[in-house]
Amino acid sequence: MRKVLIVDDSVSMRQMVSFTLRSGGFEVIEAGHGQEALDKLKSVAVDLVVTDLNMPVMDGITLIQHLRQQPAMKSKPILMLTTEGLAAKKEQGKAAGATGWIIKPFDPEKLLATIARVLP
Amino acid sequence: MKIDLTQFRETFLLESAEHIAAIESGLLELRSRPGDAELLNAIFRSAHSIKGGAGSFGLENLAHFTHKLESLLDRMRAMEIGVSEEIIALLLESTDVLRALLDSDADSAMLETARRLALRITAYSGIESAEPADEPAVAEEEHEAAGGSDGLSLYRIEFRPDRELFSSGTNPIVLLRNLAALGDVSVTHLNAEELPPLSELDPEQCYLSWTLEVASSRGEEDLHAVFEFVEHLAEVSIRRLDADPAESAASAPPHRTGAAAPDQGVRSPARAAAHPRQDRESRTARSSSGGESSSIRVATEKVDRLIDLVGELVIAHVMTAQMVEGFTPDCLPKLRESVAAMERNTRELHERVMGIRMLPVGTLFQRYARTVYDIAQATGKQIELELSGEETEIDKSMLELLGDPLTHLVRNAADHGIETPEQRVAAGKPAQGAISLRAFHRSGRVVIEVADDGAGIDPRRVRAKAIERGLIPATAQMDDDQLRMLIFEPGFSTRDEVSDLSGRGVGMDVVRQNVQQLNGTVTLSSEIGRGSTVLIELPLTLAILEGLLVRVADRTLVLPLLTVVETVSPRSGQIQRVAEQGEVVVIREETIPLLRLRRFLRLASAADDGALRSLVVVVEAGRKKIGLVIDELLGQQQVVVKSLERHLRKVDGLMGATILGDGCVAPIVDVACLAGMNLFGLEAMARGESVTPISQNSPGSGERGETTHAMV
Repeated sequence: MRKVLIVDDSVSMRQMVSFTLRSGGFEVIEAGHGQEALDKLKSVAVDLVVTDLNMPVMDGITLIQHLRQQPAMKSKPILMLTTEGLAAKKEQGKAAGATGWIIKPFDPEKLLATIARVLP
Repeated sequence: MKIDLTQFRETFLLESAEHIAAIESGLLELRSRPGDAELLNAIFRSAHSIKGGAGSFGLENLAHFTHKLESLLDRMRAMEIGVSEEIIALLLESTDVLRALLDSDADSAMLETARRLALRITAYSGIESAEPADEPAVAEEEHEAAGGSDGLSLYRIEFRPDRELFSSGTNPIVLLRNLAALGDVSVTHLNAEELPPLSELDPEQCYLSWTLEVASSRGEEDLHAVFEFVEHLAEVSIRRLDADPAESAASAPPHRTGAAAPDQGVRSPARAAAHPRQDRESRTARSSSGGESSSIRVATEKVDRLIDLVGELVIAHVMTAQMVEGFTPDCLPKLRESVAAMERNTRELHERVMGIRMLPVGTLFQRYARTVYDIAQATGKQIELELSGEETEIDKSMLELLGDPLTHLVRNAADHGIETPEQRVAAGKPAQGAISLRAFHRSGRVVIEVADDGAGIDPRRVRAKAIERGLIPATAQMDDDQLRMLIFEPGFSTRDEVSDLSGRGVGMDVVRQNVQQLNGTVTLSSEIGRGSTVLIELPLTLAILEGLLVRVADRTLVLPLLTVVETVSPRSGQIQRVAEQGEVVVIREETIPLLRLRRFLRLASAADDGALRSLVVVVEAGRKKIGLVIDELLGQQQVVVKSLERHLRKVDGLMGATILGDGCVAPIVDVACLAGMNLFGLEAMARGESVTPISQNSPGSGERGETTHAMV
């Protein structure tokens, strides 16, 4: 089963994304912020990361930058999950190495469709 | 497949309530640390999270309002707008509105308030910000129409990725696959000219580019959407081959989108495709679950440990069962061992399950900063609230029941305790008053202290008022502490004389009542001119306690061990009868009222209990000691408290019952209740005074048999 790491400081958002992904047949790992995500990825490999941008401790952009430095994560798809429809945020994410983005609030089917678009 | 996310609404509501509380306490902290960027960031993040979730559950008013709020907070954290008292007040008002909007049934008056406040917020932030995601709905419809039924179209796509394509986690094969899902794709040209010799090839670079032809019934925007995520990493041109060349060139010129403005002009249809069509659907997906479901959030580690423990318990059980099955006497040591293992497991499991219900009191303390702020604003006082021991954990249900009593105590301290700055300065004190809320553990109990450095409580005024209210006779002799405790008596304070800030029709008697419900005690100390301190002592949890098992007549009773001070076997002469009203035991020159449990619980006729072989267990609650006369000490044991009220009516003197190892039911003695009901009876008797009960409906001395007795 393919594994997805979902990183968001909001428990309800994490639950919703997790539920959606599990419904879509993925195995899900959760982290509450960027640092926790990095810690979890030390012991487990994932096929995709879905990350929020605004988070305490370590934000999503910094997380993406870190992940792109790691051999295991260098070319894995990373989607940013964000409420910002703002160009600046998206640009920052792209520059950091995000594969794509999902806008909150998200539609579950659309989320799965977007993930299908970036997963090999 | 329709995935229903409304089930997470409850979590969102809980979480948002926490966020609002965090915003509120953050704002109050901001007053003393206006330049704290991390604090501003945290406040912003909380607002941002609420906005994010609100849209998902169709709470549009909330999403809209939070959006405005977020814009202002964003400018504040960018230090473009400074922190001022007006802004703090405005934002605090906003937290009230947020709370109201969380309730999807917010009435029209509330919505009007929210609308006005939003206008004021916008005036401050100076940003007429666009609504989040409000244009895609239209755009999407357009493109649905465009992609309609006009048969197959042939497109030519030039796809020239940058070398760095892979660094974004993008796989070009996946893009081609996605494109293939929209129609028939044929690669007309694969350009590998840039491919270097193998020795120079960097596998992390993309050297290839493609020319494709796609026959699809979809519109051009759908094809563009496939490349949406790579527009900054590739040149993509899409041309319709079978259309009017002029038109198609105008609608989709080959272009390169740099970092400058990807979301503008001609790109907007493609961008729209990235927006969920959520908006409309979520409006209909509104959950109807408004009920008060009580839930706890538990750290995953805690749950994992529980699962481990249950696993160990199951193994220990299987082992024990096997040993019992093929039992021979020489198995006994092993059997003992595995029973001991089960016992350890059970105990740890028990503790950890209880631990799940424990929450830090900080979550409760937080809200009082606002209470104090509001009163200070309304009365012109200067008050600082100091919190400490917020991490102290307490049972969740107790935390909920503590909310109201603490609110009342804090309001009282701010409204009645702390003086005006002028009065304070005149009294030689700093103009700013202080209220402290502390929580800590003391001998297995949780203590919560509400202290102020205000005017203190004058026992003479309390006395005068108590006499006026008929709570005590004019001749009553009581010391200052006893007099002050009278403020907790029902009927002491009345609605007409408390201010509308601290009043709300609830007296201090309710504080004591609530705390006693939690098997806790309230004590008060005060010094005129120096302030007052209220101590609330509570058990860690309601569900389990360490008990002292005692025998009274032929019954086993449980005394909460924490209340037990000592056990004495009185010599003759140590027990004295006082003025025909009661008995006392004198221990080291201290006179302690006695209560004969045999008689109190009607377990035997009065004639039986004169025997001197009886033991006296001295118990204490709320600084009051009483001696309980029992027949025998049976031992110490952890007991699980079961409520009696489900089966019997409320019994004075008993807080519940437990089931012992042999299956017998043993009542648990409510020491706080016994000590309380003897407040004016037994103590006065101890001094040989005659005292009338304070009111008709309050329990009199247990010896008179007026109260409900247990049927044990």
